[in-house]
Amino acid sequence: MTSLKSALQGRLGAFLSEPIEGLPEEAAVVAPSTLDEAAVILTLASKHTLPVLVWAGGTHQGLGGRVDPAIVLSTARLNTIVDWQPDDLTVVVEAGVRVADLEERLAERGQTAVLPEVPGDGTVGGAVAGGISGFRRLRFGPTRDRVLETDLVTGDGRIVRGGGRVVKNVTGYDLPRLAAGSLGSLGLIGRVCLKLWPLPQETRTVTLPEPRPDYGYRPLAVVEEPDRVLVFLAGTPAEMDARTAELGGRCERGLLWPGQPEGAIRLSLRVVPRLLREALTRIPSSWGYQALPGVGEVRVGASSFQLESFRELRHWAEGHGGALVVTDAPAEVYELVDPWGTPPASMDLQRRVVARFDPDRVVNPGRLPGSL
Amino acid sequence: MTLVQELRDLLGDERVLSDPLRTHVYGKDAGIRRGEVLAVVLPASTAEVVALVGIAARHGIPVVPRGAGTGLAGGTVPTSPSLVVSLTKMTHFDVDVESRSAWVEAGVLNLDLSEHAAGHGLHFAPDPSSQAACTIGGNVANNSGGPHCLAEGTTVNHVLAVEVVTARGEVVVLGGEAPDPIGLDLRGIVVGSEGTLGIVTRALVKLTPNPPAARTLLADFARVEDAAATVSGVIAGGIVPAALEMMDRLMTTAVERFVGAGFPTDAAAVLLAEVTGHPAAVEAEADLIRAVAESNGAGRVRVAADEGERALLWKGRKAAFGAVAQTAPDYYLHDAVVPRTRLVEVMAKVYEIADRFDLAMMNVFHAGDGNLHPLMAFDASQDGVMDRVQTAADELVEVCVAAGGALSGEHGIGLEKRDLMPLVFSQADLDAQARLAEAFDPDGLFNPEKVLPAGSRCFDLGRPVPAGTWI
Repeated sequence: MTSLKSALQGRLGAFLSEPIEGLPEEAAVVAPSTLDEAAVILTLASKHTLPVLVWAGGTHQGLGGRVDPAIVLSTARLNTIVDWQPDDLTVVVEAGVRVADLEERLAERGQTAVLPEVPGDGTVGGAVAGGISGFRRLRFGPTRDRVLETDLVTGDGRIVRGGGRVVKNVTGYDLPRLAAGSLGSLGLIGRVCLKLWPLPQETRTVTLPEPRPDYGYRPLAVVEEPDRVLVFLAGTPAEMDARTAELGGRCERGLLWPGQPEGAIRLSLRVVPRLLREALTRIPSSWGYQALPGVGEVRVGASSFQLESFRELRHWAEGHGGALVVTDAPAEVYELVDPWGTPPASMDLQRRVVARFDPDRVVNPGRLPGSL
Repeated sequence: MTLVQELRDLLGDERVLSDPLRTHVYGKDAGIRRGEVLAVVLPASTAEVVALVGIAARHGIPVVPRGAGTGLAGGTVPTSPSLVVSLTKMTHFDVDVESRSAWVEAGVLNLDLSEHAAGHGLHFAPDPSSQAACTIGGNVANNSGGPHCLAEGTTVNHVLAVEVVTARGEVVVLGGEAPDPIGLDLRGIVVGSEGTLGIVTRALVKLTPNPPAARTLLADFARVEDAAATVSGVIAGGIVPAALEMMDRLMTTAVERFVGAGFPTDAAAVLLAEVTGHPAAVEAEADLIRAVAESNGAGRVRVAADEGERALLWKGRKAAFGAVAQTAPDYYLHDAVVPRTRLVEVMAKVYEIADRFDLAMMNVFHAGDGNLHPLMAFDASQDGVMDRVQTAADELVEVCVAAGGALSGEHGIGLEKRDLMPLVFSQADLDAQARLAEAFDPDGLFNPEKVLPAGSRCFDLGRPVPAGTWI
């Protein structure tokens, strides 16, 4: 055991937690039960400039630059559904609540947070911090649109609330929007209030043999795969009958969400929606994919990393206002390429903003584009 | 060289106003406050905005960006002699039909965009009542809403990117055309920042497909509480209508005199509801709303028979504020938001406050969102009336905050509610917001003294900062 780890264990003894598999043994693992405890931990980290890796479900750890932590801050004990107001369509949850558990609870009263449909062990905090959206973003917009309030523990240990528990709000700067997708660069997102939607009365999954230019008025989701297209519909029974008749294809009851494309290399190709078709012609035939028409994202799975193909595709995407992002891959891939690609032109401003929340840059340092 | 001379060299005499008779109107928005204007400029391009920001910065003159001036919270009212930048000459836009988006200059009118996009079966979803006059730049600055934000969300959900001129004179594009732009979402911070972080010269907005079918219903109620309970009942019934709007009797009476939309004037309240979508869906949803209304004691439930009747009902709703002008010479329109389940109790308190201060209080609001708009009509020339209006307004805010609400749903904080911010945010929260603003605009060049109260920034949290200290 390193002396740093034992010193930290001494200081943070009250919050110590079990080691997490696959993480460096030198790091002290802590799991605060409250935001105040998290603030104590981050104040200490900031004072001594110790890198902190925030760990939730571990499902999006492939996103962004690698972090070599002295402290791993687990959200496992921040796992309470704090306040659910079904008639207001809002819920307040702590970051460590699993997406699957929350959605199961909400479904009891016919509601959904529209979080990723195939979440695995993913948590609400992970989905918000990673800016992760599900297939239903086509109809309901990305996850960041539904974050109404955030309680943030900043990198230097302040507890800051932004937004509010109402569905419409212009009361000060919109910190929840900034927090969504911030990947820990502002600090720990400890608690969020999310806007909910009612679950539809009926749902259908229609399978079509090939893509079409149009899938009808605002379907719930559309996923194009190399050998089939899945169209997801939701609404009243009469609407389901009418829409499935309009679409044709093979129709099944319920929402049969597809799993991720196979392969240890996972990429997210993001383009202007009108270029999606062209993007698909540029993907090597050995790669599996899920294309989201109308959104402009192609989720790619590949079993081996082809550097040349990757570089060509990234060059094309960036040249057209898009990006090719590594979302998960073996460690060596991160040494070959930057997971984000060319940083955005606003990096100076991004650095200035991050410095206002995490001046010593201790939480998930280097995770954002530009090694920020 | 003087500020005005430098600006004239840049823009020509026509687009620099310094004659007090011409600048006077720019000292005010649609609310009740007035500020002092040094000069007004009307740039026509982003490059001109960059140049004039540089000139103002060199002279140390605050810059107040402005759209059509339809705001109500004093967001564009200068607090010290300022350079007002009116973006109304920047009116170009390009629609990308296939991507369902458009790059829009700040001065484009909200309704012009939607009317143009209608040719492609698309529209810009946020539809404030002022949409015939307000600009997209103003919508971005205030994260504007409108009746149809219930199902579609407010402006921030419909802005994919913004082009911003910063205090350093940089032009940065925040956000992008592709989904999930990498890095921090600074776009989301600029939307709703009320012109305090920079000047938004262009925005990339999302366009929404026009629904193939719509049903618009008008239900009337003998008690305001029953209308409010219907709102909660509809949402609890599992549908989120496209719009769910409420008006009380004083308001429907004023509207009827003004436009004759056929609103009943004998009912305590009316509920205007709209469902949109697939033709096979709207019928069932309209039936559900009717059933909920009737179970809550609705009198008549009228369904618009055709597009003409639907348009007339909406005209009545959107003309509400114009209609008030016939009732009294002055009005104060409030904007606050509460969780929708608290509507009934909050409305009871709103009427109690109106009674206690002897004010004519009319209500028209986005009931589905819990977004209240109590409107006090009065004659400012009467002695002491302004004090009563202001005290009543402050009490209204306190009632909403006590019910778990926020200070503003769609009009913004501006000057009007700046000093009420500590009601909803702690010192640490306000300090974090002030630090964030500093990252964009360290010297307070843009629209100073708005949104955050003096003393928000405390350099050493934990030690008390004397009240009123600006450090």
